Amino acid sequence: MSSVIDGFAVVLEPANLLYCLVGVVIGMLIGVLPGLGPAATIAILLPLTFGLEPVTAVIMLAGIFYGAQYGGTVTSVLLRLPGEASSVVTVFDGHALARQGRAGAALGIAAIGSFVGGTLSIVALTLVAPIVAGFALDFGPPEYTVLALLGIMLVSTISSGGRIRALTAAAVGLLLATVGRDDFTSAERFTFGNLSLADGIDFVPIAMGLFGLGEILYNLEERHRAVQAPTRVTNVWPSRADLRQSSGAIGRGSVIGFVLGILPGGGAVLSSMAAYALEKRRSKHPERFGRGAIEGVAAPETANNAAATSSFIPLLSLGIPANATMAVIFGALLIQGVTPGPQLVTEHPELFWGVVNSMYLGNVLLLIMSIPLLGVFVRILRVRAAVLAPITVLITLVGAYTVNNSVFDIGLVIGFGVLGYLMKKAGFDPGPMVLAFVLGTLLETSLRRSLLLFDDDLTGFLTRPISGTLAVAFLAVILLPLARTLLHRRHPSEPSVPAGGGTESSVPAGGADSSAPVGGADSSVPAGGADSSVPAGGADSSAPVGGADSSVPAGGGADSSVPAAGHAYPFDSAGGEAESSVSAAVRQDGSDSAVGASSGGGFGGRASRQRAAIGDPEAVDPAGTPSGAASDRVTESPRRDNKAEEAE
Amino acid sequence: MTTEPVDDRPPAAGPSTNLIAAVVVIALGGAAVAGAAALGSGPGTWPMIVGVALVLLGLILALQARRAEPPERFTRSSLLVVAAVASMIAYVAVIATIGFEIPTALLAFVWLRFLGRESLRTSIAVSLGIVVVFYALFVGALDVTIPHLF
Amino acid sequence: MTVLVGYLPTPEGEAAFAAALDEAARRCEPLLLINSPRGGAPVSTDVAAPDHLAALLAKAADAGVALEIRQNSHAGEFSDILLATADEAGASVIVIGLRRRSPVGKLFLGSTAQQILLNADRPILAVKPPHR
Repeated sequence: MSSVIDGFAVVLEPANLLYCLVGVVIGMLIGVLPGLGPAATIAILLPLTFGLEPVTAVIMLAGIFYGAQYGGTVTSVLLRLPGEASSVVTVFDGHALARQGRAGAALGIAAIGSFVGGTLSIVALTLVAPIVAGFALDFGPPEYTVLALLGIMLVSTISSGGRIRALTAAAVGLLLATVGRDDFTSAERFTFGNLSLADGIDFVPIAMGLFGLGEILYNLEERHRAVQAPTRVTNVWPSRADLRQSSGAIGRGSVIGFVLGILPGGGAVLSSMAAYALEKRRSKHPERFGRGAIEGVAAPETANNAAATSSFIPLLSLGIPANATMAVIFGALLIQGVTPGPQLVTEHPELFWGVVNSMYLGNVLLLIMSIPLLGVFVRILRVRAAVLAPITVLITLVGAYTVNNSVFDIGLVIGFGVLGYLMKKAGFDPGPMVLAFVLGTLLETSLRRSLLLFDDDLTGFLTRPISGTLAVAFLAVILLPLARTLLHRRHPSEPSVPAGGGTESSVPAGGADSSAPVGGADSSVPAGGADSSVPAGGADSSAPVGGADSSVPAGGGADSSVPAAGHAYPFDSAGGEAESSVSAAVRQDGSDSAVGASSGGGFGGRASRQRAAIGDPEAVDPAGTPSGAASDRVTESPRRDNKAEEAE
Repeated sequence: MTTEPVDDRPPAAGPSTNLIAAVVVIALGGAAVAGAAALGSGPGTWPMIVGVALVLLGLILALQARRAEPPERFTRSSLLVVAAVASMIAYVAVIATIGFEIPTALLAFVWLRFLGRESLRTSIAVSLGIVVVFYALFVGALDVTIPHLF
Repeated sequence: MTVLVGYLPTPEGEAAFAAALDEAARRCEPLLLINSPRGGAPVSTDVAAPDHLAALLAKAADAGVALEIRQNSHAGEFSDILLATADEAGASVIVIGLRRRSPVGKLFLGSTAQQILLNADRPILAVKPPHR
């Protein structure tokens, strides 16, 4: 208990206070801006963390992460443009409320919900993390091997572009991790005689290149994004009735967010969708959803902040990053000389508790600052991408140099930036690659030690209780989707398409930070919504957003993707249910279809790849107009009538 | 009649691009296997496993090439990316010798004016502004060791 | 043949619209309105909100003029877009609103109106908002 108190003392040090504030503000900013997402931003700012204490660094980076969850809400509500993938669901009711002139209420309830969700999640984290860490002290090489494999597999399952591509990216990441001197035998691997590679590839250039630069380059191709008039936010606070109505949603959202956030593969995006679906399902008047139901904003926003917080648990207590953003923070800690793992709580209690307690503070700051900063955010949104791009690029390049004072590093960043760009073009999510790279050394070392332990007998994994269970889970994650494909082939009548109007709305999420969540709250295997750190539109892939286009056949077999009209990119439902409970929940409604939001762009992926197939034509207008550029609206005056107004 | 925020992403490419990607993966896997074999039993085991996995995955990708999601096509605006990368390579090449100020200003100007199609005035103003801010921040406040002229 | 007006939700834009409406009525031609924000940012003050446009349509209907509105965003210079549209739509006259700019302001911020005036190949009607 005393360490908890000590943790607060750490937080209240001026430097930490300052960097917490900085992190939260930066987080909100990039959440608002389509383009860069948390993972990419954190990657770009890695060089900045060198001069900081480990605690301070993580406090700031954490602030960026959960701050971004809030920022994404602003544009969702005001502009119908989700800044992060986890805010896609907020668009439905949030923007409807804005159109009714109640944007302030929506934003206010989102802030409150985020605060409550985040705080409850932190409390739970405070209790759970040390327990998990204590439990994990018994972990040996076999456990870590399977855990790492499971983590990679789960994240790949949720990634955009489909599982095979994500696994490919992960495999390349593992390969990259082998470059350098082998720990066991000191043999040089894949260094091609280059001295700079003898110590292996540095994590920082990979992260900065794949996420940061890759995202920037990817965004360069964007043209003529449609523009909106700046909206004025009048009433700034939710009414008492609003609060009463949302209280249940907030409570449930917190729980959902906390649980789904912990699971590798789970995450903010999945949580927001699951919470929304749950609220809608248990509501007595589900038809209100999509039209300005305040719970429709409270639930997802609470859940995504709760999840963002709880996704720190695997990292801080096990040393296993649950998604790409966590992977980058993992790398940041390694750079600082701190190895995250079960011993972190005991060996570096001030770090652990300092970070955890900073989240309390960060959430308070978020709540306080969100409203005053609204005006600033809308102004920021007016800055053209053409102006932001060179600034971000230069920060990246200069930062890359400062890592080792080497021009070679900048070259590496550029090289990986090109790779990241090509990957995104080809539909590969860079997130799993970074995650696998970070875990690669751990995985290999654990595997080799395990084999030594078992005398090269692979079945040894099953003899130990923990590794055995995890190994079974691992196999389940691989095999279940295959089983489902086979089953599905035999029952093609299963409507795999979220019917509903089958209208497709493209809700481009700038810089999504998650790939499409699938599976949903009921899967026993957390397949689905991996917060495979997709920073969006923006970088990071985003955006995100990132726009991950997971192919998920909602409710169908693994690959028989029948998109809901147009190009709704179906989700890849990894293991688990035949129907993502998300889609099921929403689908059971008469008018609505499953939310086939393919969100999550790769880490830092652009949200532009996000297309939410939303079947409720009244809630959200099918933005995917056949003419493509929705900005091309031609209206004729003689036929002017209400239709024009509604056809938003 | 609100203009909706829709992105004009480049159109989809044909399935052949998927095939190319698959071939690249297989080739990479093959190279990894070859390299791993050269390394021998201890250090080479893991790269071998990964290499084999890559080849397998590449094969699956090739098989799925037709059905899978088409990647994006390279359009005229992709040339922007090429130009951007070229500018960055040039930046790296000169920064060590002439300091960061001039290359930064030039890079920013190129990106603003040619990639971003901003007006001349804006391009010049923002470029100079960036250099000033960077100088104040990196050399002044943070005292970071980048090569600088002034 | 149509009357073309470049519109912004500003007093200058309103003045231009009013003048353009008169002109279109006088010539018995339809009116084409361009409200084109600079692309690249999610939000821009140049964009006219939907209810704004609805009001414009109402005014046009009252005056008996057929109004067509285009809201594509553009990259690069607005003058280029305006003149290109004038060509494509066969505009008989282009109506623009003039902003008061001091000579120094023009030096630093440029003048779209000046570019339009210098490069146009058809009549231009330049309007100032009523003096307050």
